[in-house]
Amino acid sequence: MAETKHNPANKTRRTGFKKRDLTGWFIMLPTILLFAFFVWEPLIESIRLSLYTAKGIRLQEFVGLQNYAKVLKHPDFLAAFSNTFVYILWSIIIGFFVPIVLAILITETTFFKSFFRVGIYFPNVMPGLAMVLMWGFFFRPGNTGVLNIILEKIGIAPQIWLTNPKWTIPLIVAVMTWKGAGSTAFIYMAGITNINPELYEAATIDGAGILERMRYITIPNIFALGKTLLILQIIAVFQIIYEPLVMTNGGPNNASISIMQLVYNYAFRDFNYPMAAALSVMMSIVLIILSGMYFKFTASKED
Amino acid sequence: MKKMKRLVSMLICILLVATTLVGCKKNETSAVGATTEGVTAGVPAAAPAEKFQIKLGIWPEDTLTDDVKLHEGYVKTFNEKHPNVEVIPAYYKYATDTFVSLAESGNLPTIFDTWFTEPQKLINGGFVADITDELKARGWDTAMNPSIRDMLSKDGRIYGLPRDGYALGLMLNVELFEEAGLIDANGYPQYPKTWAELAETAKTIKDKTGQAGFCLLAKDGAGGWHFSNIAWGFGATFTLEKDGKYVANVNSPEAIAAMDYVKSLKWDYDVLTADPTNEDWGTGFGALGTGTAAMYMAANDAVNQPTQVNGLPVDKLSIVPIPAGPKGQYSLSGGTPYMFSKDATPEQINAALDYLEIMGKAPVATEVAIAGMKADDQNKVNNNVPVIPRFPCWVDQKVLDAEKAVTEEYSNVDMKLYNDYFNLIKTNGNLRAEEPGSAQDLYAELTKVLQAVITDKNADIPALMKTANDNYQEMLDQKVNK
Repeated sequence: MAETKHNPANKTRRTGFKKRDLTGWFIMLPTILLFAFFVWEPLIESIRLSLYTAKGIRLQEFVGLQNYAKVLKHPDFLAAFSNTFVYILWSIIIGFFVPIVLAILITETTFFKSFFRVGIYFPNVMPGLAMVLMWGFFFRPGNTGVLNIILEKIGIAPQIWLTNPKWTIPLIVAVMTWKGAGSTAFIYMAGITNINPELYEAATIDGAGILERMRYITIPNIFALGKTLLILQIIAVFQIIYEPLVMTNGGPNNASISIMQLVYNYAFRDFNYPMAAALSVMMSIVLIILSGMYFKFTASKED
Repeated sequence: MKKMKRLVSMLICILLVATTLVGCKKNETSAVGATTEGVTAGVPAAAPAEKFQIKLGIWPEDTLTDDVKLHEGYVKTFNEKHPNVEVIPAYYKYATDTFVSLAESGNLPTIFDTWFTEPQKLINGGFVADITDELKARGWDTAMNPSIRDMLSKDGRIYGLPRDGYALGLMLNVELFEEAGLIDANGYPQYPKTWAELAETAKTIKDKTGQAGFCLLAKDGAGGWHFSNIAWGFGATFTLEKDGKYVANVNSPEAIAAMDYVKSLKWDYDVLTADPTNEDWGTGFGALGTGTAAMYMAANDAVNQPTQVNGLPVDKLSIVPIPAGPKGQYSLSGGTPYMFSKDATPEQINAALDYLEIMGKAPVATEVAIAGMKADDQNKVNNNVPVIPRFPCWVDQKVLDAEKAVTEEYSNVDMKLYNDYFNLIKTNGNLRAEEPGSAQDLYAELTKVLQAVITDKNADIPALMKTANDNYQEMLDQKVNK
């Protein structure tokens, strides 16, 4: 590596271009092979699968877009589709702002800063499934749920939590935020630390209070970062599955079923792989669009 | 120096690629191993004395040491007759998320047991072997209870063998009945005879003991499965057949009445467990066994669940008849099947069937089979599991008599706690197989309605049942009406 540094850049480019390329390809080769085998081939295969009927995963006959039509007409599709957007909506309301607030609060903290930093990141260390199971115990209705035991101590009647269809999704999103907010807050904290401290100094000298410093310096400076993270968040929430799967199994009455869970149901409950593939393909189209938006945003940020 | 560096970096790259390929290679060799295994298994077709293997998915899990010992004994007996067959324990607990990958990769055990819900799905998916010829050669096909045989057949071909038959009854936690004072002069629980009585009994239990009177399931398809049995008593039939097509009939007044009844259990009597939407088949037995619910709809083939698994004393369990509804009394019945891997050769299937005979699970009353039944019952006695008669999944009288004799010999419970149940299911017209059409989709729809009704006091039942009806019709049209 040191060697290449000493070389004049243009000389290498002219003489050793192909050879250098070759090394690069060689370095990438194992990854490319693995990607081809574990990612691209299955991707293409599932597009193919979505156009056939199948026994298990053995293709039977070509049926065109029939599986797609079946998915669209399936009783659970509409619920799963709209729920997914409700998840996204709630995740923006709850999940998007919490990390920003946490990040600002912690950067403004003078004492115990690292304590708080570790504190908000701590839930992230937990394995996802364990966390979901744990919150399942918290949310149990009746006298045995942890939250209800706490409520009882302060004299409030037990609540039914997740079994109230109106509250199911917000509560699941709250749990996801509890786990995920810490790591996102770290990214914002890094963003805030990157802001030139002289701006704050100048503002303080001009007599700006904490709210004004935030309004005119912090928020504008992390705005671009926020846009990027928002899109990433939407992409992630679009694929939500195990939280509702474990906490509510999509219920009550489909109040929390997500598209991914529907894919899971098609594949692993009904053994209907073509329909699962069809829905996955539909979903990946949406995700490709979202990812395209993400690249556009990040590109314009660099300009 | 520069050349040297380039050489080294090239070498390292090649090494990287090579290691990756070696990783693949390893997979290939193991796949080859699997095929050779298949080949050796296939060879005996020509030369029967050749060695081959059978993989037993019905092997007990490692933690059940007594059961493992029991099976080791079976293997000994088996190998005396079949010295050329290597028995490989391959404990497999059927699960929908592991099954297809095992089947498609050819790693399915030769024989495995699955859920009563699965046979048709597995047959349609081509995952299981057609064992009609093997059964016919033994005469076992006619020995099978016809309604159970139908469940395991498609187009006249048989794909499975009943491990146990079941008919839903009402399981009681006798301890809670005693605590609530619901005991007659002889010390037996005063169980409810009708669904209306069940609500009252459950209320008494809830008031006196603080525990739930009845465990209703509403988490997954099992909820709809139980509900369909309740609704039959109210006169409902969910699937009609018209001109060779299935027609959904979910929102009949009878079915709505049954749903109203379930609603009253939650909102008028308040006798259910804290969160029915989180109760499934397994947690229901947990609630019953640990005494947080007094009554639960369950069958004779699952008596080990509350006792051995969840710690209820063996003499505190009772199964009583399913309560009668205003329009009749029906017990949902079916069978838990043994099925065979699609890759199994006839020799392997025959060997596995012989193994079942040694376990005493086959329709023969040979000495070996009876020894197997005895060993099984002795093991139940040792493990706090009630020894009660099996549901007759075979119709061969000799087998039934032999089973009866063995069960009586090893009986460890007071049969008065079970007799009413067994008498009812022998009554003509009481047993009813699950709804035709697409039962799993029906159950899924019913479960959604149950969830809505349990969680919303003001749920509009006729509207919910109408939606369920439309959805079920859609699934019927997609899947079976062609």
